Amino acid sequence: MFKLGEKSFHSRLLLGTALYPSPQIMMDAIQASGTQIVTVSLRRQAPQQAGGQKFWDLIRSLKVEVLPNTAGCHSVQEAVTTAQMARDLFETNWVKLEVIGDEYNLQPDPFGLVEAARTLVQQGFEVFPYCTDDLVVCQRLLGVGCRILMPWGSPIGTGLGILNLYQARVLRERLENVPLILDAGVGKPSHAAQAMELGYDGVLLNTAVAQSQDPVAMARAFAMAIDAGRVAHQAGLIPARDLAKPSTPVTGTPFWHQKA
Amino acid sequence: MDIAIIGAGLIGRWCAYLLDRAGHPVSVFEQGADPLDTSCSWVGAGMLAPLSELEWAEPLISQLGWHALSLYEKILPQLEQSVFFQRNDTLVVAHHQDRPDFEAFAQRINHKLDNQPDLGEKPVLLDRIRLQKMEPALANRFEQGWWIKGEGQVNGRALLSALMASTHRTTWHWHTPTTAFGPGWVETQSQKHRFDTVLDCRGLMARDDFKSLRGVRGELIHLRCPEVSLNRPVRMIHPRFPLYIVPRPENHFIIGATSIESEEMEPVHLRSAMELLSTAYSLHPAFAEATILEMRAQCRPAFPDNLPKIVQQPGLIRINGLYRHGFLIGPALAEIIVKLLGNASLDPRWSGLITTGAA
Repeated sequence: MFKLGEKSFHSRLLLGTALYPSPQIMMDAIQASGTQIVTVSLRRQAPQQAGGQKFWDLIRSLKVEVLPNTAGCHSVQEAVTTAQMARDLFETNWVKLEVIGDEYNLQPDPFGLVEAARTLVQQGFEVFPYCTDDLVVCQRLLGVGCRILMPWGSPIGTGLGILNLYQARVLRERLENVPLILDAGVGKPSHAAQAMELGYDGVLLNTAVAQSQDPVAMARAFAMAIDAGRVAHQAGLIPARDLAKPSTPVTGTPFWHQKA
Repeated sequence: MDIAIIGAGLIGRWCAYLLDRAGHPVSVFEQGADPLDTSCSWVGAGMLAPLSELEWAEPLISQLGWHALSLYEKILPQLEQSVFFQRNDTLVVAHHQDRPDFEAFAQRINHKLDNQPDLGEKPVLLDRIRLQKMEPALANRFEQGWWIKGEGQVNGRALLSALMASTHRTTWHWHTPTTAFGPGWVETQSQKHRFDTVLDCRGLMARDDFKSLRGVRGELIHLRCPEVSLNRPVRMIHPRFPLYIVPRPENHFIIGATSIESEEMEPVHLRSAMELLSTAYSLHPAFAEATILEMRAQCRPAFPDNLPKIVQQPGLIRINGLYRHGFLIGPALAEIIVKLLGNASLDPRWSGLITTGAA
């Protein structure tokens, strides 16, 4: 079991709900993956207000936890307002906080993020900040009261996986007791498995499933990869080494066959 | 056979025309006024792209679309008003930063064609020279393009008017909302009418009967631009929805369409307008001098699987959920209705569309 805020889950895969060929395929993919948490964009998919009630009803029928996001917000004020609207519309205090600093590669604005997170935590939100993999930014986010972190692997939609493996490892080692969810840039199931092997607590993705040729099968593939990575992490990976080490003893090998 | 059709949008008109032609007296009930310029049929751009749509659509849409194209070729010359129709292929291009999506466009289509080769011919990759030959206006602007053979376009507004003008035994009741209807009857504010069969073609207005029907917002912009000339519709790869530029006679262009999970009927959003206009401008900078003729927003009726449904019971047939494929598949669906009413044998490929019983 895996705990986020006050709630417990057995699936460590979080799925986005955008860009699927049809709502039916989205629902089938979510069910096939066994995911228990889905993200929803307030600005693009909101119920009532923007007329998205029907789409929202479909998501609600899945009986999964909804994590509204503030996608498309570029300032602290926008993000805070959007989060407040999301709390009313989706009836949850959870929010995936996105404050975009660079429009071109959708890079989070670390300064605005910390400020918005401080405000929202004070207002009783469970903030899931989408951040870069910078250790100090992560520490500041924890400092203002975040209990969960969502560092990127690479920019949104690139599918490049974990670009800075060293940094990903540092975050896990230094922030031992903080739930870490790899968010953004995941392209292949092996990327997700890699994050789980490092000891991340979960993986959030959207495009890699929604835009694959068979989203339902791909959702299953990600679920399996995340399970594999998690089990591997718990089972204890062997350390990598540069020189071959025989797995059968060489004691019986004649000395003139043994390398020095 | 006396037939009532509720709703004078695209599918209602196709049904009226084909049934009228088959010799049935038809009564069409429409709450709006001709030419129904707030309906989603009026707003649609009339792209007939069964292969390009296959990127995201189910194979059935493609099969219906190819069949509909052959119906357009057969029927349009018989209509009593001329309708602009073109079958001159589609070109697909992408900007440098959307290259991965450009590749994925063909991969997604080819994946489906590998399983079902009857869905069409694979996209052909054009280099700069061949692209330039096909569309001189795009010379040196794009390095590569996908050539989609056999696709076309139709002037939707002209079609809506021509279908109506070509009926002879049809009564068109405008401003006539139906207060209730059922198998074999229609009630208007003044009286109850009896028919042999009632066709429910109300689109989104049928939401109360189809609980899973939803609206998907689409926005389009009409431009006039004498400086740009294109021989065929051009589709531009976009990270969120397929955008196209449809050239019409007299320097008229339609740029469309966004696809947003929302039933909001407000006018075009600034963000969408910017995306649509920059699609045109980035295709050709001369679009900067274009005149904006119209900006339109509408909601298209869709079921969760984005496939149409025909629900049949004695005396009542409901047809809905044409989504963004109204013009693409409209005549094929209307032909199915005519066959159902005449108990004629149906292409087995279409049997999955039809359910019997109540909505």
